[in-house]
Amino acid sequence: MSALVVSELLKIRTTRSFWGYVSAIALLTGVGAAAHIGSTQEAARHELSFTLGLVDIVGVAVVIAIILGITIVTNEFRHGTITPTFLVEPRRERVLGAKAIAGVAFALAFAALAFVVIAAVAIPWLTIIDVPLRLGDGDVWTRIAEQLLAVVLWTLLGVAIGTVVQNQVAALVGTLVWIFLGENLLVGLASLLDFDTWAEYLPFHALDAADGTGGDNLLSYWPGVVVSLGWIALLGAAGTWRTRRRDIT
Amino acid sequence: MIDVQGLSKRYGSVLAVDDLSFRAEPGTITGFLGPNGAGKSTTLRSALGLVHPDAGGVTVLGVPYERLDKPLHRVGAVLEASEVHPGRSGRNHLRILATAAGIPRSRVDEVLGLVELSAAAKRRVKGYSLGMRQRLGLASALLGDPEVLVLDEPANGLDPAGIRWLRDLLRSLAAEGRTVLLSSHVLAEVSQTVDRVVIIHRGKLVRQGSIAEVLAGAEGATRVRSPDAQRLAALLAARGSTVTDLGDGVLAVDAPPEQVGELAAANAVVLHELTVEQATLEEVFFELTGGETTQ
Repeated sequence: MSALVVSELLKIRTTRSFWGYVSAIALLTGVGAAAHIGSTQEAARHELSFTLGLVDIVGVAVVIAIILGITIVTNEFRHGTITPTFLVEPRRERVLGAKAIAGVAFALAFAALAFVVIAAVAIPWLTIIDVPLRLGDGDVWTRIAEQLLAVVLWTLLGVAIGTVVQNQVAALVGTLVWIFLGENLLVGLASLLDFDTWAEYLPFHALDAADGTGGDNLLSYWPGVVVSLGWIALLGAAGTWRTRRRDIT
Repeated sequence: MIDVQGLSKRYGSVLAVDDLSFRAEPGTITGFLGPNGAGKSTTLRSALGLVHPDAGGVTVLGVPYERLDKPLHRVGAVLEASEVHPGRSGRNHLRILATAAGIPRSRVDEVLGLVELSAAAKRRVKGYSLGMRQRLGLASALLGDPEVLVLDEPANGLDPAGIRWLRDLLRSLAAEGRTVLLSSHVLAEVSQTVDRVVIIHRGKLVRQGSIAEVLAGAEGATRVRSPDAQRLAALLAARGSTVTDLGDGVLAVDAPPEQVGELAAANAVVLHELTVEQATLEEVFFELTGGETTQ
């Protein structure tokens, strides 16, 4: 199994999209951190919410994480490399497991990169303008842990979606449209009919609750994590069943 | 050893493989022949656990592929040449497979040398020719030094020198006692390479055996030359034979030479030549597969 994971790590690292992920994260978090510091009133910079907001910039990594999770699976179907992959390991559920582990490993590495970039922007800047870094504050570290867990959950959901949809373009476009439009449209429609009590259980509402930042009409933190894991398990089981049955032609 | 037993596979309304049984033996190159769409790839993919049969099955080295321990060490396969990520280098493609199979990296460079691809190993596969991709596929099949080789249309994209190189390589692998099963829709590519042929058409087995056996079972034409060819042609036609006038007094007849000779003697027709023209493997192939050509 560990050989399969190392092989999957090598797959991620040996394509150009890997460097696309790295530069997207570095750029978005760097600009995000600078914008957050620059746009906050001087007095507000001394509040805890300012520091937590800085940590939350790592949230851009979740979008990269779900794209990574989806493409880890769908890339193989797109390029036909799923054939040699399943020749090496015909027990297909093991391949999917290795992909999930490798995806999480890289997503966490990307999140770590995001934190490094945020720190590289924020620490010198805040030191110069004499704003407390709050690195000893437990709330800051809790938020960091929550954001890391969110990255893991988004990656796993991406892998699960990839195993269900398998067509790369459909999976990526469908997921992004669903995140930014579909799910909210559905909730909006339901609320018009006064029928939206289940909205907080939808996958991306649950994931939204599971990053620790809170929000209106969302589950609280731990129920959000549990419901997210439920969606991952449900889609993962369906995708594994589909992948095992599929004829690779 | 590959043992196909009563294999059937249906895709929607198309019965791609229909109760097919045959064997590929160790030390032998078995040619798996049929026109495009005859069910060759479906059969090979069923043998490799990629396609789930509706009935029957295939065992490789005595067990279904899925139950082989370390399958890459036992069975090597070359399927479509395009099953590589175009943005990866050939060497990285092989390293990924070797890593998953627990094969040392040194073996990657070894097989790259074996298929004469070392110079292009670090280039992206995107820039490879079809022939280079075939060689890369072959390199991946050889990674685990397997006892069984399965090759689907391996000659596609190879130039004549490449085909000859492939033939020599497969010959030496079979001589080491390995089982080689290769498919082709172009008979000329494989007729000099294979020991045995298995011919399928529309998913069904139509003939198998050594090349000599397959040829022996085929109807040859009789070639006859006579100064009185016109009269002989009329006599043969009257007896129900099909006669083709090849010009210069030469006729091709679908009757045994004994009958042609006796008929000529009975009617006092002078013969200058009477021979049996052995059907070529190509002709047998077209006859068995209904003359459906390929592409």
